[in-house]
Amino acid sequence: MENLKAKYGKTLNLDKLTSFCPGCGHGTVTRLVAEAIENLGIRERTISIVGIGCGGFSHHYMDIDAIEATHGRSPSFAVGYKLARPDNIVFTYAGDGDTCAIGLGDLMHAANKGMPITTIMVNNTVFGMTGGQMSPTTLAGQFTTTTVKGRAVPHQGYPLLVPEMMRAMPGVKYLARESVATPKAIRNAKKSIQKAFECQVKGLGYAFVEIMSPCPTGFKKNVKDSYAWCDGEMSNYFKPQVFKDETEQNDVA
Amino acid sequence: MAQETLFLKNTETFAESLARCGVKYHFAYPITPATDVMKHMAVILPQYGGEMMQMESELAVSSALAGAACTGKLVATSSSGPGMTLMQEAIGFMCAAELPCILFDSMRVGPGDGDILGAQSDYYLATRGGAHGDYHTIVIAPSSGQDIADIMPHGIRLAYTYRTPVLFVLDGVSAQMTESTTLPDYTDYSAEFDTSGWAFTGTQDHPKRALITGSYSHQDGYDLNEKLRTKYQLIRDKEQLWEDDAVADAEIVVAAFGIHGRMCRDLVAKMRAEGKKVGFIRPITLWPFPERAFAVLPDTVKNILVVEMNHGQMVDDVRLAVNGRIPVHFLGKTGGDMPMCTLAEMIAEANRILGE
Repeated sequence: MENLKAKYGKTLNLDKLTSFCPGCGHGTVTRLVAEAIENLGIRERTISIVGIGCGGFSHHYMDIDAIEATHGRSPSFAVGYKLARPDNIVFTYAGDGDTCAIGLGDLMHAANKGMPITTIMVNNTVFGMTGGQMSPTTLAGQFTTTTVKGRAVPHQGYPLLVPEMMRAMPGVKYLARESVATPKAIRNAKKSIQKAFECQVKGLGYAFVEIMSPCPTGFKKNVKDSYAWCDGEMSNYFKPQVFKDETEQNDVA
Repeated sequence: MAQETLFLKNTETFAESLARCGVKYHFAYPITPATDVMKHMAVILPQYGGEMMQMESELAVSSALAGAACTGKLVATSSSGPGMTLMQEAIGFMCAAELPCILFDSMRVGPGDGDILGAQSDYYLATRGGAHGDYHTIVIAPSSGQDIADIMPHGIRLAYTYRTPVLFVLDGVSAQMTESTTLPDYTDYSAEFDTSGWAFTGTQDHPKRALITGSYSHQDGYDLNEKLRTKYQLIRDKEQLWEDDAVADAEIVVAAFGIHGRMCRDLVAKMRAEGKKVGFIRPITLWPFPERAFAVLPDTVKNILVVEMNHGQMVDDVRLAVNGRIPVHFLGKTGGDMPMCTLAEMIAEANRILGE
């Protein structure tokens, strides 16, 4: 059998079958994160702090130390960790429910503190693990198990634009929204994830990447339609882009 | 810092004791009557190469504390009733995750938003806990500034020996009292413990470690809870602490913790001078509750009087400890202009029971 470690490096644990549903974007994002860690040669000092929900599985497929935090609190866990061990590379990985529903306060204050921490928010517009309920990023009119007539924005709120909320924070040094719905989008996502880790390696400040990702189970769509919806409706609203890239500054660490 | 005797608020003594015993990182959010701990830590921790980090809420405080505790380093927080309520999530988490840390509740009167008056109304919150699942937190109740300084090394050793949070509780009256305390030389007590076997520091010197408290099914999950049960039983067996006096021939024993426990020394001296056979028990660990102190009470003890700055919380544990063998009475109040019983009120109630 082919030696997968020799080809893909030590970070990604290719021997483990994932527990993600067929067509889930988490597998792609997890691989991109593992590749960034591998490329930067930081595996042995990197700590994954994952949230609750499907995003919490991601660390199982990486040979790095991991902390499964309480729901929504991974940014605060990361702040405490980074204060105590500044030489370690700390990243949080969680979905939109964990990151911007229950964890929005922790997230915004961690971002505003500007400590060198990397956050990956996988946005699939639903609470996936609990079966596809409305999350803050659910699109207007989107059907979920708790918006059975579609999200009614006048009282259920508008889909939350998280990086846009961070844009004005000087402590945020890398800020992007990407997607894994198409090969081209995946290549862009790969670049942004790598930059978000580089930002921390250089000690510059907080880095945040939102990644739009299909959840066929939660969308109640087949895999093909889920990817088309993620690349269509979702991208039309959320508009993938690099909001801020200050990673070319001199190393201040 | 070298050993020295200082005239300090007991909140400041708590901060000094933490820093002098090796705490490097302190996380907190302002709340009366605990704020003086974080203020003092902000000043002194940099002198020890550490830092006080102010967070945006007690939710974030306790979560950052948990994240820092994952590194194996000695970390602490300080708060009061409403803040402790918000921290329950992370306290339960740290118990499950087996993370050592030091917590401090400068207790104020509640419920609801509460008031800044000192109280002992967080006894249930401390000893029962407000988080989900089967867990316990070691709870230590000092009764003075010197108590704080003297027991801090033991508290840190408990946290690391059992890898679990240790919560200090002090009523807000004692917390804001200013008194002389002899503070120790600097010693990092956490350095006595090797954390390299469990700390989550990166895979350079160990295979992947994952901190998982969210999987209790199958044999592994069952074993995780059984491991905690075994640990808690060991703590119950080995770590009960209390102060007592004059119980050997007592007819009535007054039981109280914290400031009322401290007042019991005067109560016994005064009543014994009048020929009254009275003794006292001051629980130092509230969990594990010092059941043994009550189990060994002689048959001469006909009544127990529990005094608290609340409406009767520790009294439940006293009743459980004596299991119906001795009648248990309660005297307590909370809030108002005088949020605690005076020594005269305590003596009057003890005399009333003796006269029954």
